[in-house]
Amino acid sequence: MKKTLCIYGLTLIASMAVIGMPGCAKKSVQSGGDSQSIQGKAKGGSSGGSGNSGSLGSSGNSADSGSSDGSRSGVGSFPDTGVQSGGGGLRGLDKNPSEERVGGGTMLAKVDPSGSAGRQMDEISAEQAASSVAGLRDVLFGYDSWTISEDGRQALNRDADWMKSNLSAQVKVEGHCDERGTSAYNLVLGEKRAKAVRNYLVELGIGANRLSVVSYGKERPFCEEHAESCYQQNRRGHLVVKTGK
Amino acid sequence: MTQGKLISAWFGGVLLIAGAIGILESGAADVFLEATRPDFQKISLGVVGIQNTGGPDWLGGRIEEVLKKDVKRSLVFDLVDLPSLGIKAPDIGNGMGAGSKVVFKQAVEKGVSVLVWGKASQKEADKEADVNMEGFVYDSGSDEVVGGKRYAGSPSVVRLMAHRFADELVFRYTGEPGIARTKIAYVSEQGTARELFVMDYDGYDARQLTADGFLNLMPRWSPDRRFLIFTAYRNRNTQDIDMIELATGKRWTVISLGGLNITPALSPDGNFLAFASSYEGNSELYRLDTRTKTIQRLTVNPSGDLSPSWSPNGRELVFVSDRGGGPQLFLMGSDGSNVRRLTFEGDYNAAPVWSPRGNWIAYVCRTRKEYKLCVISPDGQKRMQLTTGPGVDDSPSWSPDGRHLVFSSTADGKSHIYMINADGKDIERLTFEGAHNSAPSWSPAS
Repeated sequence: MKKTLCIYGLTLIASMAVIGMPGCAKKSVQSGGDSQSIQGKAKGGSSGGSGNSGSLGSSGNSADSGSSDGSRSGVGSFPDTGVQSGGGGLRGLDKNPSEERVGGGTMLAKVDPSGSAGRQMDEISAEQAASSVAGLRDVLFGYDSWTISEDGRQALNRDADWMKSNLSAQVKVEGHCDERGTSAYNLVLGEKRAKAVRNYLVELGIGANRLSVVSYGKERPFCEEHAESCYQQNRRGHLVVKTGK
Repeated sequence: MTQGKLISAWFGGVLLIAGAIGILESGAADVFLEATRPDFQKISLGVVGIQNTGGPDWLGGRIEEVLKKDVKRSLVFDLVDLPSLGIKAPDIGNGMGAGSKVVFKQAVEKGVSVLVWGKASQKEADKEADVNMEGFVYDSGSDEVVGGKRYAGSPSVVRLMAHRFADELVFRYTGEPGIARTKIAYVSEQGTARELFVMDYDGYDARQLTADGFLNLMPRWSPDRRFLIFTAYRNRNTQDIDMIELATGKRWTVISLGGLNITPALSPDGNFLAFASSYEGNSELYRLDTRTKTIQRLTVNPSGDLSPSWSPNGRELVFVSDRGGGPQLFLMGSDGSNVRRLTFEGDYNAAPVWSPRGNWIAYVCRTRKEYKLCVISPDGQKRMQLTTGPGVDDSPSWSPDGRHLVFSSTADGKSHIYMINADGKDIERLTFEGAHNSAPSWSPAS
């Protein structure tokens, strides 16, 4: 089955090459894409589709430890996303046009409020309460920087003391950034900050298995004013006592 | 002018512009193209009007307004104001009457190449009853009504009818599908959460797609427009790459390796997913074969590598790396070979996106402490800054016709979504509601 499809794809490409129009290079790539997507489709009949979404969700949870040794089990199912056809459904002008039905308004499903939002809210409140009781201190960073300052080290010394006297506590280090810079690069920068905090705590003798890191980049700011005083508040390693999983 | 002539005139215009940019940029490294652009030959088009032939008062006017804006945004047509040319058209029906001949003659004399008009009605007083629209096109080259369209649909698709008609016009004169029916996916703050939304390309009809109550970030479209792929925090502690099917809302995790898993980008043929992950330590680029599920690591160095974007032929990737200190753009083959640095100006260049025509890469550049939009040619020879002024610009994304970019900016205070021409002209704000809208991604053309 697969073989015949391959041959079909090759013939497509070959026929394109024979046609040999100017600007053909782009087109033959296109047709290659199409023929490959036919393959994908054939496979998708058995492995794609709704049946997979459940099992994928569970594989997502298994990666909870944060630094699990990336096995390929962390890869979910993939539908065929190749372009099926061109033309965009346009039929061209017509001197005697027949009526076209303009479809259903939208191609979008209604959002399903899964109850996840309420659960998140409860869990965030619980974490905040536990962290406030513990009195953990945060670390603030310089612009573009993930170096821990002297103030930061002092804060972390106290945090380490608390962790040493609360041996069952698990702490999550959140990396945050100010709004300047791109969303994507700030996620990487936030991770560098969170890891810098974790590494310093490990140096102080805290077990790495009691610490996890997560980066929120510039997506969960502590304040939203466009001023240095606010930017400073958002360049942060935020320590949170984990309450749930 | 015949249709063929019109098309060749238009392509000539594109070449002219490309040439002019080359000249300007070879002289100085950082010239901002503002008023110096030569007029390229758009096709002059007048919208006579959409007559209301029954139904609510707003109907014809609404369609006309949407159609005119679409025509203008297409950048294929030059929308002329007919009354200011002395062309006052009464109802010209199907364009066969004597009255219409007078109007056509006037248009030819004033150099208007294309006239468009139509009518719209709603069958009954019932608000839910079908709307009907008819559109007609007169072409001065062939001096005849070259054709028209008839649409029917529920009142909720009135804007879509106008968009569809506009795309037919672009299609007739360029062979391209047009962008009036494209969509923009983006992230909008809901309380303290950030959720995915999709709106029409002109900012209308926004729909919410996720309601996790936490973070969903940086959506990208699949080549076939059916899916979005994005960074998701299913719980607050781990972070994955998810996909969602727009038509059904079905959603699942595709990458959950541990660590940061961000900036997914599907190859133009859909067969590969490039993404950044820190599961082996620091953020590196990987390529997943979506059919065999094998992952190939593309970058190997102790710095952060992220934000891959595919060249239109799928052979190369542009990406961000801070291996030299600050983030800069790099190019490499899509198998990780032949890595070379693309940007040398400034100490912060990030969020690259390769244009659908392949000739430009748009990105965020930091100049004088401001984060603005820049474009650079893939050979590094030409570079332009597109936006200026205060505010953080972020997340550029190309329109499928390569003539526009959409991006987020805090220029007006809160972060909102804006559209801009690829030459830096005609900034248009698309979102007005909400506290924080960001990370726009323009859909492929249908």
